[in-house]
Amino acid sequence: MKDMEDKDVVLTELGRQLIFRSLTDASVQQATEGTSNFAILPWVNVVKIGGQSIMDRGRSAVYPLVQEIVENLERHKMILGTGAGTRARHIYSLAIDLGLPTGVLTVLGTAVAWQNAQMLHYLLAQHGIPFIEPEGFGTLPHYLMERGAVVCQGMPPYKLWEPNPPIGRIPPQRTDTGCFLVAEVYGARKMIYVKDEDGLYTADPKKDPSAEFIPRISVHDLLARDLEDLIVERAVLEFMARARHVREIQFINGLKPGQLTAALNGEPVGTIIYRNGDAK
Amino acid sequence: MSQDHSSAQHVASNLMRESLVDKHVIARTESPVSAILPDVNVIQIGGRSIMDRGRSALLPVLEEIVANQAQHRMIIGVGAGVRSRHIFSVGLDLGLPTGALAALSAKDSAQNAYMVSCLLAKHGFVYLEAPFVVQLLPAMLAAARGAVFNGIPPYSLWEHPPLLGKLPPHGSDAGSYLVGEVFGARSVIFLKDVDGVYTEDPKTDPSAEFIPHIRVQNLIDRKLRTLPIEPVVLDLLTRAKLVRGVRIINGLTAGNLTRALQGESLGTLIEQ
Repeated sequence: MKDMEDKDVVLTELGRQLIFRSLTDASVQQATEGTSNFAILPWVNVVKIGGQSIMDRGRSAVYPLVQEIVENLERHKMILGTGAGTRARHIYSLAIDLGLPTGVLTVLGTAVAWQNAQMLHYLLAQHGIPFIEPEGFGTLPHYLMERGAVVCQGMPPYKLWEPNPPIGRIPPQRTDTGCFLVAEVYGARKMIYVKDEDGLYTADPKKDPSAEFIPRISVHDLLARDLEDLIVERAVLEFMARARHVREIQFINGLKPGQLTAALNGEPVGTIIYRNGDAK
Repeated sequence: MSQDHSSAQHVASNLMRESLVDKHVIARTESPVSAILPDVNVIQIGGRSIMDRGRSALLPVLEEIVANQAQHRMIIGVGAGVRSRHIFSVGLDLGLPTGALAALSAKDSAQNAYMVSCLLAKHGFVYLEAPFVVQLLPAMLAAARGAVFNGIPPYSLWEHPPLLGKLPPHGSDAGSYLVGEVFGARSVIFLKDVDGVYTEDPKTDPSAEFIPHIRVQNLIDRKLRTLPIEPVVLDLLTRAKLVRGVRIINGLTAGNLTRALQGESLGTLIEQ
């Protein structure tokens, strides 16, 4: 601490506050609010491939999507994250029955997302697209520049450190959240979720035929509806409200050819959830 | 395995075909959790409050840890301190996002944890990086006398955006608590340079009143201007299933850690 008080050490006014005051002091946090935002990879698109919705369907869903990804490699740079799906549901169910905590469920669920990422990687490998672990994200810009895409598993690397959910035992931050946070930290151009529905409905259209389609909605309006079910993890909506880069997220139907290309080209296909204050 | 009309291949389970975002499905997953390492105590050594003071503060704490080794199994989480404040300052000036600040800051606490592990090495403590905490902690505790880990959780680029500003909300207090909660530890004890929670910062306001025991929701509702631990720990405590209380004690006072390990009430106990 003594060294930091030395006149030779150049500190901004904010720096002085950070070093000499408590970080739990709200006024210090407030002082960091007005700092600038640098987008690390402003041209990258984060594309999350659903686990249950796409990967678990096998060839019929995955092959056409892989083809569409390959066709877009020249034009759009993509970080491809994968969801977990039905094997995660099985192991969550089993682990809950065995009395294991949320952090352990996260470790287990991460392995399922990892398997799906490996499979996607095998299908894209001939195009030079690597699979990278969270620890290898430092090499990601190089692969994106050279090959246009990388594959990673979608779970955030929280492992045993995953916080408990307010109710129950299922890890609250899963692959939707992990991919969102990658988009946010890199200041990505787009966050696209590839699912097996056209987008957001007022209820689960698989179970309720009277469900209505919602093409565009703000985070605030969506949360205000207090829906029983959602197309995306609630943590994504919470984080979006505080995000400094990601202004909107898009949900498309990966079973419909051309939707991913349209979304990458900036067309309003599927459902767009936008941050409040960013309504166009 | 089964194949439903929509052609996805499912593995039969209670959660098969369910939306894990559905509130009713989530509510169905509420059931008892068992503790994985119920006799372990998690001791967090503050970065700024203890580590940055150097030898005069740290060595007595480590001696007390060693003196309690025979009676209590301990794993030691270590905080970051002033170097993180400095890199936050530089990083914010460069416009870097919260996740980048979290990745950078975790190296400061890793350095501190590594130093602590060197000082405790001759007493059989090992240093475990996050992957080894996941894979090896129980085995290490069976073989070694104790373990030291990086208090900051491995959230790195995936750190949550904070409610206000850009500072990473999960520091070494949160990470140490989460390790305690996931293993169902006997206790989580924070060693700081104050006696516990006060109504105001006791370093600047002499009229500050001491709070020896408080319910976490009550503490959240009081919206105190500063706290000796990260506010996110309070949120985590509201959702605790196993470690439903944490104790904050003054690590600069000899004997405090021993008394806290023996279950005496000192410092501040924050309970669910």
